[in-house]
Amino acid sequence: MKKLLLVAAALLATALPVSAQKLVIKGSDTLGAKLVPMLAEEYKARNPGVSFEIAAEGSTTGIAAITDGTAQIGMSSRRAKTIEISAARAKGVTMKPTIVAYDGVAVIVNQNNALNALTKSQVEKIFTGDITDWSEIGGSPGRISIYTRNTSSGTYSDFKELAMKKRDYAGSAQKLAGNEQIVAEVAKNPNGIGYVGLAYLKEPGIRVVAIDGHSPTKEAVLAKNYPYARPTFYYTNGDPAGEAAKFIQFTLGEEGQKIAEKIGFVPLK
Amino acid sequence: MPPASNDTPTPEQAQKPFRVRKERTRFLGLTLDECIQAFFGGNAFVAVIVLALITVFLFREGSAFFGQNRDNLTIYRRAGLEYVDIIRQQEKDHAALSRYLSAIRLATLRHYLDHEKLPNAEAQKQLVDFDDFATRYGDAIEDLRGLASELGEAAVAIKTRHQINLDAGENRRQLLAAGKPDEAASIRIEEIDFEAELALIKDTLPVYEEIASDLGKTLAEVVANPPALPTPELRARIDRFESLNRDYLATFPSTLERLKTWDHRKPVPLTESFTAFIFGRQWLTASFWQDWYGVLPLLSGSLLVSVIALCLAIPLGVGAAIYINQLASPAEQRLIKPTIEFISAIPSVVLGFFGIAVLGEFLRAASGWSWLSWFPGFPFAERLNALTAGCLLGLIAVPTIFTLAEDAINNVPRSFKEASFALGATRLQTIIRIIVPASLSGIVSAILLGLGRVIGETMVVLLCAGNRIAIPDFSTGLGVVTQPVHTMTGIIAQELGEVARGSVHYRALFVVGLLLFFIALTINFCAQKIVRKYKISVG
Repeated sequence: MKKLLLVAAALLATALPVSAQKLVIKGSDTLGAKLVPMLAEEYKARNPGVSFEIAAEGSTTGIAAITDGTAQIGMSSRRAKTIEISAARAKGVTMKPTIVAYDGVAVIVNQNNALNALTKSQVEKIFTGDITDWSEIGGSPGRISIYTRNTSSGTYSDFKELAMKKRDYAGSAQKLAGNEQIVAEVAKNPNGIGYVGLAYLKEPGIRVVAIDGHSPTKEAVLAKNYPYARPTFYYTNGDPAGEAAKFIQFTLGEEGQKIAEKIGFVPLK
Repeated sequence: MPPASNDTPTPEQAQKPFRVRKERTRFLGLTLDECIQAFFGGNAFVAVIVLALITVFLFREGSAFFGQNRDNLTIYRRAGLEYVDIIRQQEKDHAALSRYLSAIRLATLRHYLDHEKLPNAEAQKQLVDFDDFATRYGDAIEDLRGLASELGEAAVAIKTRHQINLDAGENRRQLLAAGKPDEAASIRIEEIDFEAELALIKDTLPVYEEIASDLGKTLAEVVANPPALPTPELRARIDRFESLNRDYLATFPSTLERLKTWDHRKPVPLTESFTAFIFGRQWLTASFWQDWYGVLPLLSGSLLVSVIALCLAIPLGVGAAIYINQLASPAEQRLIKPTIEFISAIPSVVLGFFGIAVLGEFLRAASGWSWLSWFPGFPFAERLNALTAGCLLGLIAVPTIFTLAEDAINNVPRSFKEASFALGATRLQTIIRIIVPASLSGIVSAILLGLGRVIGETMVVLLCAGNRIAIPDFSTGLGVVTQPVHTMTGIIAQELGEVARGSVHYRALFVVGLLLFFIALTINFCAQKIVRKYKISVG
């Protein structure tokens, strides 16, 4: 009898904190650095009792987390590869993407660099290492310093597909961990060039480059004029359910899209 | 008669043997002393066991890499990517010549801007002929590039189908293991006939021959009329370009020969997988084409920052140790010693942050000072490079070297010093000729342990070394220190978040870890051996 009471008390103690819901969101640095934390704050303000755990270490980690079941939502700035989808299916997980916003990848140079317009072919040649000096494209002489993300970033492989025709980065490219670091280095290096998401264009010290005459603005991306734009996703195991579904609805709704636009993403409409 | 049961002891009972030892309380058959002994001995044993487990774990995870890398290299050959890369190499050599042309253009531009003092627009106008020449030279490769691109797509398609087959096989194995034989049987795996698929690629050889001979003719024509250049040295450079171009055209027959004799059936031995790792000059992952796992760029990066760190830390650490132990007053000793030892307490990530925010900026500004311009490689543009990381690592190594060197100097017997003074030597002579040589083995061991500390440092190099995965360019001599590098520890930290468990990339990172483990083991072994062998025996 005493044992039964003890067991019942233990069960009650573990069941009590159920009212505090926890959403684990892992994945892309592009989404997870600014957008998702701000959405989480807004959502928490409206629905107290929900806590968030957001870890932004790269799109690959988000997709892996959904496959392993360690997160309810996986943020990704690229589509899941077939290998990842089949690995998930082997574990009984169906990867379901939901597009939350469009992100442009903007090419940035130092603000003292006279060039502010490049063609797609010039961008490809610079990042693959075919062109190594600014004077070859009409700038003042100086060796081009290329700053890229590292291999766990979705932006890293997306940029290869969008801008470099799937060729490999130049051997002289320096791999940095996040968008902020790229902005910091390009701002301090007069010969620097790099790529960042649209949310980071207002930082001091950098200048945004127009590609083929189009600047990375919301209108250009929606009209499909700016070439380096891609959708960003939430991945879930099957159709989203429970608290995750409500959060995704909030993101796709009017307030969520307004927050995305304020940060610099391109909303779905 | 029965013995009387009264209180006073009988004479027999008074004869009992006299016990010296006390009856000890025994717990599980051991006395308290033996328990304590077992506790300490057990802890020591557990430490050794944990080390053995770590070694076994590293080996287990890493050794499967060589088999997987061999599969990686085998599919590179069998799907035809090696064939396409032979053609691509020809394209890359042409691109290198184009870059040489660009360098000449840059030198000419410099001449117009600096010597003839023309404005930028005017100088660009003077270069129109040169640009025309360069464009015609560059455009000649378009046909070959188109062919390589088509063949490349075909090869990648074969490789992708092979990969899908592998995934399907794995899927089927997992379903069978989960006990679902019907679903497992429903997964279809179509066998790839590499011979037939590659025939499509190899059949383009006549097309390649034609393109190559056209390319040779066009390049010879273009180079026969070089543009006019203002100074003799620029004209000499164009002449050199002409001879380089001739050499390039001379390689065409051998390339054709290689393509003709290329055989996709040639097997890849396991030793090639090993040498491709140890001597591979390229570490390229997440590529749409082919992944390469060569550790040489990472190893050279690690060694470069370690050498820079030691060059800074040895004079500072050993010098401080000699000063503190032999020359300093007690007040100075009380002040300096704890301060140096405090450096080892600073978290390395804080030092890394300091490096980005303060030291990198300062070094780059310093490289622009005119009185430092004699140093090769100054001024440099990137503030995250081997020099920044090396300075911080040197700072981290100083406390290690200082503490151990000071210990070694302290252990020199006092009689040596007294004998030296008795013979009339000055203080400096005693230090330089007697004490330091006597403690040299300890100092060398301290330096080796400092090296071991520095090679294993991760956070500082991840933040400050620049992360360029390429063998540093030693052609500028000492200027190599201003280049960004990537270390072995940095690559593990940076890429471990991305890899799928059990994939070839995952295991490659473990083998890099294994290599670091061996390097640290060797350094420590040498350090201990040197101390033991050359230790001065007292009396």
